[in-house]
Amino acid sequence: MKPNNPETEKKQDLIASLINEGEKHQAVELLHQWAVQTSFNEVIYNILEPMLVNWGKLWMQGKLSLAHGYVSGKVAEEFYLLAANDPEFKNSSVKARGTVILGNIEDDFHPLGRRLVGIYAQAAGWNIIDLGTDVPTQTFVEKAGEYQADIIAISAMMFTTAKNILKVRQELDRNGFSGKVKLAVGGAVFKLRPELVAEIGGDGTADTAIDAPALFEKLLGEKVV
Amino acid sequence: MNSLERILAAVTGDEADHQPFTMLLSLYGASLIKSDTFPYYRDPELWFDGQQAVVDQFDPDILISPFSFPIEAEAFGSELVFLKNYAPNVRKPIITSLSQINSLTVPDFEKSKAIQFFLKGNELLSQHYKGNRAIASPIHSPADLPSLLMGIEMWIDTLLFHPESVDQIMKKTVDHFVRLGNEFLAGGTTFLVVPVNFTNPMMISEKIFSRLLPYLESAFSQLKGPVVIHNGGCKIMGFIDRFAQLPNVIALVLEPTESFDKARLIIGDNLVLMGNFDGPNFVNLSGEKATELTLKILNNRKADKHFIFATSNADIPYDTPVEIIRTVVDTIRGFKKYD
Repeated sequence: MKPNNPETEKKQDLIASLINEGEKHQAVELLHQWAVQTSFNEVIYNILEPMLVNWGKLWMQGKLSLAHGYVSGKVAEEFYLLAANDPEFKNSSVKARGTVILGNIEDDFHPLGRRLVGIYAQAAGWNIIDLGTDVPTQTFVEKAGEYQADIIAISAMMFTTAKNILKVRQELDRNGFSGKVKLAVGGAVFKLRPELVAEIGGDGTADTAIDAPALFEKLLGEKVV
Repeated sequence: MNSLERILAAVTGDEADHQPFTMLLSLYGASLIKSDTFPYYRDPELWFDGQQAVVDQFDPDILISPFSFPIEAEAFGSELVFLKNYAPNVRKPIITSLSQINSLTVPDFEKSKAIQFFLKGNELLSQHYKGNRAIASPIHSPADLPSLLMGIEMWIDTLLFHPESVDQIMKKTVDHFVRLGNEFLAGGTTFLVVPVNFTNPMMISEKIFSRLLPYLESAFSQLKGPVVIHNGGCKIMGFIDRFAQLPNVIALVLEPTESFDKARLIIGDNLVLMGNFDGPNFVNLSGEKATELTLKILNNRKADKHFIFATSNADIPYDTPVEIIRTVVDTIRGFKKYD
C-alpha cells in the first residue's frame, strides 16, 4: 500500500462520508468513476481498503454501528463485482491468500455477521467457501478436507449456539486436522464473553467483520504445515 | 413499606426504607421450580409458579410477566426453536421478501396462543400481587420487532434502502405494540419494559434512528401507562436523550459498562435510572466478586432517590447457583442508602 497523499485521503473521506449517510449507490458509482480514470487496483488498494481498515478501527471503538458496517460491506461487495468483470483487474489478480470455510454453526440463523466476514475477506483476497446458516459439524469438517482449507470460520450469535462449535473442534482433532486447519470464531456472544473463544476450542476471534481478514492472516501464520 | 411503594418512591423521588431492586429472573423461575423450559414458556401457570418461587427465594420488588420476544414474533408466524435450559429463539423469520409485508397479519389476541401466554401470565401475577409488588411486562419495541420478523440483515437493508416498506411494516408493528401494551396495562401491569436490542447506537446510525423516532413517539404517546426503556444488552448512551423524551418514559436501564453519572448529566435528575449488574455474568462470579460488584453500583447511587438496582443485559442463566443471587440480594438488603 502506497503512503497516502492528500488527494487519496480526500477520496477516502468522501467514500466514508457517503457510506456514513447510507448512500451506497453514489459511493459505488464514484469508486467506479475513479477506477475508470485510473484502475480498479489503484482504487481498491489506495482508497477502498485503507478506508475500510480505518472504518474497522472506528467500529471496534464503538464509534460506528452495525448498519455502518453493513453499508460499507455492500459497497465493497458491489465494487468488487464490478472489478471482477474488468479484464485488466482479472489478469492482475494475485493467487488467493488461502481458503476459508465459512458458516453459521448448527442452530444459528443469524447470517449478517457471517456475510460481512465473507465480503471483507473476499475483498482482501481470501477464497471463501460460504456454507450458509445452520451448518452441521460434519459438513464443516468434510468441506475443509474437500477444499484443503486453511481455516474454518464459524459465526454464532448466542451462547446457546456458540457451544455447538466445540463439536467442530473435537471433530477436527479427531480427524487429525489439529493445527493444520485453524478454527476462527465470531459473533456477538464472543464480544460479550471473550473467554468463550478458548472454552469452545477456537484459535482466535475478531471484534468486527472488517477485522476478519487480519485474523485469518494471523491464523495462517500459526498454521502447522 | 411494601415492594410496590418502594418502587413508586423511586419514581416520585421519595426516600424508601431500603434500596429497591429487581433482577431479570424470568428464565430462572423455571430453574427454581425445576421445570423444563419448553412447558415453562408455554404455560402461564408454570410461569406464575416460577415467579412465586422467585419471590420466596429472593423477594425482589418487581416481578416479570412472561418474557420472550421470539414468542411475540411467533404470534406473527415466525418459527421458534426451543433449547434446553434457555429461552426460545427464532428459527425462521416469517418475512423473507419485502413483498410479504403486505400480507403480514397482526395477531388476533383472542386467538393467538402466544399472546394469550403473555396476557394470562400477566393477569395471574397482577391479581395475586395487586397493590403489593410491581409487575413489569416486557414488550418488543415496534422498531425492533421487524428484526425478528425478517431478520436483522433484512431490517437494516429495508431501513437503508426501502423507506416505503419501512412505513408499511411500522404501521403494523405500532398498531400491535399499542394494543398489546394497553392490554398489559389494563390487565394490571405496573409498567411496560421496552428493550431496545435493535434501536440503539451499536446497531443503527443516528440517521436511521431519526427516521424511526416519529413512529416511536406516536406509539409511546398512545400507551395508557408508564414505560421503562431497557438496554437489551447494548449501549444506549448515544441515544439516551431521545429515549428520555419519549412520551410516558419514566425510567431507563443502563448497560453494565455505562456510567450513571454520565446518564444523569444528559437526562437530568428526575427520571429513574436502573441497572447495571450484568445478569448473564452471574454464573461466572464468586461470592466475593458478586458482593464487590453490587457494592460498587450501590455506592455510586447511594444518594440517588430515583435509582432502582437491577440486572442488565439478558436473563440470569438457568444454572446460576442460588447462593450467588442470594449474596447479591443480601448485599442490597444490608446496604445503608442515603447515610
